[in-house]
Amino acid sequence: MIEIRNLHKSFGSLEVLKGIDLSLEKGKVLVIIGPSGSGKTTLLRCLNLLEMPDAGSLQLGETSIEFDGRRKADKQRVLKLRQNTGMVFQSYNLFPHKTALENVMEAQVVVQKRDKDAARKRSMELLAKVGLSGKEDAYPHQLSGGQQQRVGIARALATDPEVMLFDEPTSALDPELVGEVLKVMKELAAEGMTMVVVTHEMKFAAEAADTVVLMDNGVVLEQGSPRQVLQNPSSDRASQFLNLLTAKD
Amino acid sequence: MDDRKIQIVIDSLWPMIKAALQYTITLALISFVLGLILAVLVALVRVWKIPVLNQIAIFYVWVIRGTPLLVQLFIIFFGLPSIGIEFDPFPAAVIAFTLNMGAYNSEIVRAAIQSISNGQWEAAYSLGMTRGQALWRIILPQAARVSVPPLSNSFISLVKDTSLAYTVTVVELFQVAKQITATTYEPLLMYTEAAVIYLAICTILNALQSVMEKRLSRFSAQ
Repeated sequence: MIEIRNLHKSFGSLEVLKGIDLSLEKGKVLVIIGPSGSGKTTLLRCLNLLEMPDAGSLQLGETSIEFDGRRKADKQRVLKLRQNTGMVFQSYNLFPHKTALENVMEAQVVVQKRDKDAARKRSMELLAKVGLSGKEDAYPHQLSGGQQQRVGIARALATDPEVMLFDEPTSALDPELVGEVLKVMKELAAEGMTMVVVTHEMKFAAEAADTVVLMDNGVVLEQGSPRQVLQNPSSDRASQFLNLLTAKD
Repeated sequence: MDDRKIQIVIDSLWPMIKAALQYTITLALISFVLGLILAVLVALVRVWKIPVLNQIAIFYVWVIRGTPLLVQLFIIFFGLPSIGIEFDPFPAAVIAFTLNMGAYNSEIVRAAIQSISNGQWEAAYSLGMTRGQALWRIILPQAARVSVPPLSNSFISLVKDTSLAYTVTVVELFQVAKQITATTYEPLLMYTEAAVIYLAICTILNALQSVMEKRLSRFSAQ
């Protein structure tokens, strides 16, 4: 489903991704962890080309793109790839001028050209799925953080993406609201959705991930099952980071 | 005030209001709408830093904001004919005011667009929208709300500035006041009456601004 080969990305003179290789099968959940500045969010944002990689190649579903820094990636392919992925943002990024329902309908109507009734029906189903029936007409500012993030998940699901990308989806939430978002994510994983999740929630990683990737300083430091990576990391740097996280809890 | 003066005020009321409706308000409305379209285009050129057009846009805004509106109006109406470009008074005024509004409002629109968080663009892109779709569906509606107060300001200024059009012989409100003064010798009375009509128009515009702000802020907590 996802194949990343030798992916490089620099911001100015700062090399953030130093040649990443990763692959993920359909229906699997990949969790990316690592200290801040390790490049994990950049890697995720490269998957739907919110950041354009400088070099390497990316295949996602049927779409594959080679990057060589100078040539701009083909616009149609970029759009196709983005329609094939759904992204959930740390700060939700809901459209504040649209209701919950309109947020979920937007891409179906504008991008997929579904007719409004079909889009509305699908959006109602998705809002019900994330536990927000009855909140269709609420504007984002009338919802709690956890509710907004669940609308964000419904919005990302609305275009029927093959892969869902989560960028620290619970980091901006009050602790008591984290659970409701993780629950929806676990349900999605159980339904067989292919997911890439950047998170600091080790419990989620341990329970829901098929593969855990630990990044540090722009490279993949550890990669394997949650048990392998979280409990028996092979490098000192990895154990250090994991100890820091457990100490925090 | 004696009966004669009262009669003059009453007699001149309709000609002034008629001139206001026919020229002052029309001139302001047409120039504002055209100017706003120009302003959005200039703002986008500058936000997206489109090569060449960006430099032209910066130059345009610099020139228009750095020269008096009256002088611009004179160049267009009295100056251009000497190189063979002639306009009737009303179109000349429309061109001058449109160029003026375009320059000032482009800065307002640019600031409004840039005040919308980058996360909004990213969310739109992540859903597969093109830049145009993101702009039209997501960014501009939010930017519109931010720019209503400053744009209202500039529209109200424009309504008053249309009085300059009398210099290029447009028969707008102030021109009519001048003409009546010439026959009645009541400058204080006539110019005050004109001022009151301008004030009335601007008061109505202020009220409209409040209504619009309320409508556009229905989705926000503030």
